[in-house]
Amino acid sequence: MLAAKTITLPSGKTVKQPFNKIIIPAVISIAVFIVCGWVVLQNKGTLKLYEIGTIFKQLFSPTDYPAMNIHHTWADYFGYLFSLEIREALGETLRMSFIGSIIGSVLCLPFAILCSQNIVKTKWIYVPMRFIINLVRTMPTMVMAVIAVSLIGMGALAGIIATSIFTFGIMTKMLYECIEALDMGPYEALQSCGANKTQAFFYSVFPQLLPTYLGYFIYNFEINVRTSIVLGYVGAGGLGVILQANMDSIYTRSRVGAILIMMFLLVLLMQAFTRYVRGKLQ
Amino acid sequence: MMKFWNKEKHEIKKAQTQLNDQEQASQVVADKYNQRPKKWIYNSAIALIVVAAVIYSFISSDISIRNVDFATQFYYLWRGFTHPNTDFLFDMSKGGVPYLTLETIAIAFSGTFLAAILAIPFGFLTAKNVVGKHWSKLGEVILIVIRTFPEIVLALVLIRVIGMGATTGALTIGIHSIGMLAKLYAEAIENMDQGPIEALDAVGANIWQKIRYGILPQVIPDFLSVALYRFDINVRSATILGMVSAGGLGAPLIFASQAWNWSQMSSVLIAIVIMVIAVDFISSKLRQKLV
Amino acid sequence: MIKFINTGKKYPNGFQALENINLEIKDGEFVAIIGLSGAGKSTLLRTINKMNAATSGQVLVNDKDVSKLEGKELRELRRSIGMIFQSFNLVKRASVYKNVLAGRVAYHSTFKTLFGIFPEEDKIMALEALEKMGILDKAYERADRLSGGQQQRVALARALAQNPKIILADEPVASLDPITTLAVMDDFKRINKDYGITIVANMHHVDLAVKYADRIIGLQAGKLVYDGPSDAIDEEKLIQIYGRSLHADEVHGRVDTPKIKDVAGTSAFNKENKKEKKKSVKFSDIEGE
Repeated sequence: MLAAKTITLPSGKTVKQPFNKIIIPAVISIAVFIVCGWVVLQNKGTLKLYEIGTIFKQLFSPTDYPAMNIHHTWADYFGYLFSLEIREALGETLRMSFIGSIIGSVLCLPFAILCSQNIVKTKWIYVPMRFIINLVRTMPTMVMAVIAVSLIGMGALAGIIATSIFTFGIMTKMLYECIEALDMGPYEALQSCGANKTQAFFYSVFPQLLPTYLGYFIYNFEINVRTSIVLGYVGAGGLGVILQANMDSIYTRSRVGAILIMMFLLVLLMQAFTRYVRGKLQ
Repeated sequence: MMKFWNKEKHEIKKAQTQLNDQEQASQVVADKYNQRPKKWIYNSAIALIVVAAVIYSFISSDISIRNVDFATQFYYLWRGFTHPNTDFLFDMSKGGVPYLTLETIAIAFSGTFLAAILAIPFGFLTAKNVVGKHWSKLGEVILIVIRTFPEIVLALVLIRVIGMGATTGALTIGIHSIGMLAKLYAEAIENMDQGPIEALDAVGANIWQKIRYGILPQVIPDFLSVALYRFDINVRSATILGMVSAGGLGAPLIFASQAWNWSQMSSVLIAIVIMVIAVDFISSKLRQKLV
Repeated sequence: MIKFINTGKKYPNGFQALENINLEIKDGEFVAIIGLSGAGKSTLLRTINKMNAATSGQVLVNDKDVSKLEGKELRELRRSIGMIFQSFNLVKRASVYKNVLAGRVAYHSTFKTLFGIFPEEDKIMALEALEKMGILDKAYERADRLSGGQQQRVALARALAQNPKIILADEPVASLDPITTLAVMDDFKRINKDYGITIVANMHHVDLAVKYADRIIGLQAGKLVYDGPSDAIDEEKLIQIYGRSLHADEVHGRVDTPKIKDVAGTSAFNKENKKEKKKSVKFSDIEGE
């Protein structure tokens, strides 16, 4: 299994066994893991495992602090799920992600064309464009939301900006890869029966792009809803804001549990919705 | 004469039948045309709904910019971004950018590594061709629960339990990634070729040998590819988790943003960009080798 | 020795795949099973190593009833029976050597094989098997980089590494091109003659079966309709087995089969076949190629 040995067969032939190609990467990975583990363990907090039970109780049952005169019931707990605050926040989250997705998807079209090798033939255009797009894609939405919040203040607009930029980055890349993989055959065929370039484009290239484009849009929308849920934690609006406001104080922690349930349901719904729409797209 | 008339009659009849056939044919075509799916109604209805949704969203959103003095803010922003805080950027101690970048990568790597291994049994238990349709549903549900929890929320909960720091970050990433990886593992297992397993059956192998010699060689390259992809994503997640004090670059980022310290923020951003690009590059190179 | 005593296979939905098969295959024979698709050839073959369990009657391999074996005993039986598949069934990403070595797993404990530890003799056996099949130089290449014929030879090497008494082949050459087919069939013949291994093969191409096998078994709708030496096969017997004259794809075409002449010429069956669109083949035409 390990070293390169030579085996002699009864017939007299010798066979040299090659080095096991798995050994070196495996050893490197384990070494890296040990180093990383060491680094991580330098910065460990205090282990309070007994807190797990307490936390769960605080999150998922109504608060009952006689000292502060707070007696919530299960009705209160579930009632909070449907309160105005939550519903508004939910709406804000959805709107934020939707608008961000739309803006990003619309703005990406010209840039995607500029990045495709088969439409823009000059290297001086598409190489730098791709580089810029790659830079944009390195930023997670949350990071951009933090910057946006400190720039223009808290609120949904910061979230919209961050989501738009993120969507823009992803959709451009997905779109230009799609454009490059396009079958230019129908385009040429249409031109040969007399259509001009624009007509040929709309009747041959566009129909090929549209389903994929819509598919990516929906996929992106789902991702954005998931991230928007927590964008509020840094102040960008939506459910996350309420999460942040209520997380620290023990007295309001039960609200957090309700919010978590709401987030969970939202994500499940989005997944079902996405699957439905994608099925229809086929 | 009679013969001639008969012949003509015969030809007229033939022509008439031909005409009738043609009429019938065009009638069939016309019917079909009328029956064509009236897709445009459906499509325009959907388009209308989408447009309405967009307009409604724009109108009802709270789009107000709190800070009116845009120009000065932008100036400071520009000044700060173009003069990154180099002391911070090159500070080699535990609080400096290089160490924190290393910490972020370490968090992502350890989390992904552990998740990659622990997700293997989960993946097998969720694959339809291993446990059958019904039990796999149970596995799917468990994975969905783990997956839909946003990482930040999981981090917040774990911080209360384990305290702040990089270990919490690694654990959060680990747990969340198990959910993601197990699903992709299950897909890889379901897509695998049953042929070699049949051959091993015929050779007399028992279930463990079938797994070791039939399933694993097919499935491990896919697992590795998936895990590398996940590592890529997790590096970004690790940055974000830092914002809730789970270690790494996220913490200085959020402190800088709260203090409007643009130059410090830009040094952190530079590090983030370099780190993500480097990890992306390595990860895609390695994944190409696995095909 | 393989013995079928009133063997039958009935599927849960009622379909009778095999009915009342009585057959005896002696050690060292090269037997080919022919018949229409769906006639039960594969089913019959697979009852020998219980890949498909017989539901009635007995299947005796060296006086042990296979259909009653389970667990460890079944595995011990299977390890001495090699099986070749139409789609080769190799682990594509693994090396040829590892694929052949996998044939030895049933001879060792689970623990050792889990760690990939094989005794030196096994490694030598695997390499020797590759040498016998003439592909030793490809030993450490990835299995999917080889041509079809080479892959089937790797499968044969895997079977040989088991040190088998019997090799079962389920349409072994159906996926190969005409020339490679002959080469692989030559390999089967060589293994049979040089090592005395019993070979039971399903074949789609009748002339191949007749040329290479010593004995032909014909199945029709799950029943045994012919059992005799291959040089006794002629057109009449083929029509008996197939119920019609042969189609073009049931003949390999480049094999010299003097006794099978103009199967399509028999008048009684020509009338029935008029509606069929597929072209019936005249062997004499092909011989002249």
